[in-house]
Order: sequence, then C-alpha cells, then structure tokens
Amino acid sequence: MERVAVLGAGMTRFMRRAQETGKELAWEAARMALDEAGLTLKDVECVALVSAPDAFDGVHMKGEYLADGAGATRKPFMRSFVGGGSGVFAIIHGWYHVASGHFDTCLVVAEEKMSSTMPHPQAAFNTIYDQFTERPLGVNLLWIFALEMNRYMQVHKIPLETIAQVSVKNKLNGLDHPCHQEGITPGPDLTVKDVLDSEIMVWPVHRLMVSPVTDGAAALVLASERVAKRMTDKPVWIEGVGWHLDSSYWTNRDLYYPKYVEYAARMAYRMAGITDPRKEIHVVEPYDPFAYKELHHLEGLLLADKGEAPRLLEKGVFNRDGELPSCPSGGLLGVGNPIAAAGTMKVAEIFWQLRGEAGARQVARPVKRGLAQAWGDLMQVGTVVVLGR
Amino acid sequence: MLVGKIDRVGRIRTLHGDMGVWHKYTFGLAGERFFRALAEKGVLLATRCETCRKTYLPPKIYCPTCFAELTVWVELPPRGYVETYTFLYEDLEENRLTEPVAVAFVTFPGVEGGIIHRLGEVRPEEVCSGLEVEAVLAAERSGGLQDILYFRPSRE
Ligand SMILES: [Zn+2]
Repeated sequence: MERVAVLGAGMTRFMRRAQETGKELAWEAARMALDEAGLTLKDVECVALVSAPDAFDGVHMKGEYLADGAGATRKPFMRSFVGGGSGVFAIIHGWYHVASGHFDTCLVVAEEKMSSTMPHPQAAFNTIYDQFTERPLGVNLLWIFALEMNRYMQVHKIPLETIAQVSVKNKLNGLDHPCHQEGITPGPDLTVKDVLDSEIMVWPVHRLMVSPVTDGAAALVLASERVAKRMTDKPVWIEGVGWHLDSSYWTNRDLYYPKYVEYAARMAYRMAGITDPRKEIHVVEPYDPFAYKELHHLEGLLLADKGEAPRLLEKGVFNRDGELPSCPSGGLLGVGNPIAAAGTMKVAEIFWQLRGEAGARQVARPVKRGLAQAWGDLMQVGTVVVLGR
Repeated sequence: MLVGKIDRVGRIRTLHGDMGVWHKYTFGLAGERFFRALAEKGVLLATRCETCRKTYLPPKIYCPTCFAELTVWVELPPRGYVETYTFLYEDLEENRLTEPVAVAFVTFPGVEGGIIHRLGEVRPEEVCSGLEVEAVLAAERSGGLQDILYFRPSRE
C-alpha cells in the first residue's frame, strides 16, 4: 500500500445563496487546492467527488453534472456518497485511488448547493424516513437531533447551558475564518444567554445550536509519496482512515452514544498506530451540525469518556488555546454547513493546522497529528481521517 | 407469471407521496452573462481559452481542459450549422404529436460545444447535416432559452 500525502486544500466562501452554479463553485475550490499544491489540472490523474442528495441541487446524477467543474473531463472519475459523512469520506475515497498504487495524484472535490431547494431542504429530508411509520408524521432531521440530544443530556445530566457553550465557542472561532457564512455569528460578544434566548425549533434544539443552510465547495489534492517528496518539504500524510455504519433504524440504536463513530475511529487509530488517542491526537475537527454533536462525537472518537466531554468543554480543554483544541475552524456552526463540503472543510482545517498555515485560527499548542470526522447518512455513519506530519 | 402480477396491481394498496421540493436554479456567473447578452443584444456569448485555443459555447468561467479562469468573451452571431438532427413523434408523456418536431444540434465554426434547439420554417426533407441555420429570436426577450424561438435555414 502506497503512502498518501495531502498537498493542497481549497474552498470557496460559504454562502447563504451563491450566484455561482455548483460547477462554478467546484472549480473555484478545486483550482485553489491545485494552486496551493503547485500542480495543474494536467498533473491530476483522477478525480474523487462527493456531494449530498441530488434533491438539493435539483440535478439528478449530480456527480456527472459537476464533473467538468471538478476537473474530471476525460479523466477517471468516481462519486461517493454517505450523506453528511461524505465530506470526510471524500478523502478516504481519494486515498484509495492513490494508496492502491494505481494513481500518483487524485483531486478530491466536495460541493453542495442547498439554497436551490425550495421551500426548504428539510422537505427532501422527510423522504429519508420510512414512508409508512414515520413520514406521515411530517418528520424532518430536527426531530431525530432533538430526540438524540435529549437522550444524551438525560443520560449524562448535561445542562442546556453547556450545550449552548459549544455554539458560542464555534461561532466565535468562525469569525476568524475568511470563508465563514455572513451573519452565521450574531456578533463578537455572543454569549450563552444569547444562544438560550434564540428561538426553540424542536425542543431542546434552539436556533443558534443549529448550523445553517449553506452553498459552498471544498477540495484537496492527494499524491503518492513519490510526487509528494518532489513537490513539498512539509508533506501532510494520511495516517489513518476509518468508517462505519450503524442500523439505519433510529429506533434500533441507543442514541446517547455514537458507537459507529467509535468503530470508525478505532479503525483509523489502528491504521495510524495510535494506542492513546487523547495523547496522540493534538487537534480535532469533530462534526458539529448541531451543538451537542461536537461533544457526542468527541466521546465517540474516544477523546473523552462517555459523559465527560461537557465537563472538559467547561474547563476550556477544547478552546483554541486548550489541551485538545476542537473545531478551531469554527466548524459547521461557525463557518457554515454545505453538507458534503463542510466535512472536507474540516479536513482542510486539519491540513492547514498541521502546516502551521491556519493564520488567526492556528491553535496554541504544537500539533503533529490531527483528526477530522464527519457524520450523517441516516444519522448512523461515522467517517474519520487522521492526518500527521 | 409476470402477467399475473400485473393483473393484481389494482388490489395492491399504495400510499401516495412526493418529495415536497422544487428548485430555484441560479444561472451562474457565465450563464447570467450569456442570457443577458442574448436578451439585450440578441447575440451568443462564448468564452475563450488562449492557452488551449478553444472557444466554449455555452460559455464557462473556467477552461475544463486546463482549469484557467476564462476572461476573454467573444460575441458570436446566432448563425451556425446543423451537426445532427432528429424528429420527435411523441412528447415527454408519450403522447403522439400532431406534427413531428425537428430538433438539431447546432455548431458554430471554431467553437467547442453548441446549442440544441428546435428547427422551424423548414420542410423535413430539407433538414440535413451541414445545413446553415440562423436563430429566430423572440421579439420580447427575458433572458432564457426561450429567447431563441427556433433555428431556421439561413437567409443570408
Ligand atoms: Zn484551457
């Protein structure tokens, strides 16, 4: 198996409604990643693309539609899709292409244009549930989050204030991200009280605990060791990848703990030779479409004991200057949530953190290894990548 | 066996539903400029990549071959040649049309790509590959494909 490096990352600004087509967004991010890698489209041997449901862009077979903007014209091209987990699955999918020895370079592109969906993307989400036992209730994604969040809070006796604190941390972090969605953070003096005062959407989920509807794209350039050594003196390596599915019936898993994230993480740790993740992971980007999810996922990633993540958050461990900075990018709550592109943005953040190129977002502690994780599908997939330098 | 199954269709209970979404598509950076030019000036805009020596119609803001940003815009008169064509006998719902409708892929000299549109003011037996055609534009134009009513044999 070949060693695989990340040579460059790129992303568009995350926007509420982009004038650009999905293809144009894909091109902007892909071009930026290639420029950063010092490569041109000619050097790209294959393209791996992710994008969430076709229903969002309103284009059936969206992968094919996006192909020329993703640089895939007359190249080996493959789209993969695990819903919200796609953004991190993208790099796993690209890793395969290069690790197999079949390609020396792979351009990984993630795109999402959610603003096309009317009246709201939630209407499309209704159809992911069972037609007979759930859909007639008018169920959307918020339901499952609310039920899961409540279960998590009940089991560990977590106060709502602590969940709100995640929103504050990430939204303030996001202010330092040049690509953050305009208005995603009400202001630089955002407080826990502001979050708790925002309207209840589906109890206990408040508006400021939810990431918004976003348009955007992100991209990565992967290369074999051969190419990486030629192109850069500070390569970032893909040290571990993992992914895992639980039952897609939300009634058939205990919602308080994401076991599938744990299994995905264990797979990645094993590959990376990590035995004590709390010591060996220095910066982390867990998936945070909802505030409680960051804590939930940190536990699944074995970076906190079950029920311990809220306590560590309160102590400041996950701040940018903490022992284990979490979501230094601002995450989905602070930058935006163009579904598939959001996960790839997280991988890009770890890449920039490891290279010391995260600017105002650079974490205080030295970092040699970081982890990005995404989650989604029917709320039961975990995708994990460990990067190191 | 299969016939038997089809016979029983009427007795199988179904629940009717839909995805409950519709879409607002933005024209994009290139599309916005292309359809504005068509509406306002009655011309076709293409973009050119000097590196690859290719001109793209419809225009793109990037070159799919070399990924350069394309900033050179060229105006093309709406006159081209039939590359290939077909005649439609049924509509989308498989209803029989009263008259077959001619549809052609129209290409433009020196241009990569082209436009697919209906043909009009032409007898079916006149239609052939290589036929020179020109766009007939709507008098009132709003910036969409419908601003071109159809292509007809060139009169120039
Ligand atoms: Zn070119």
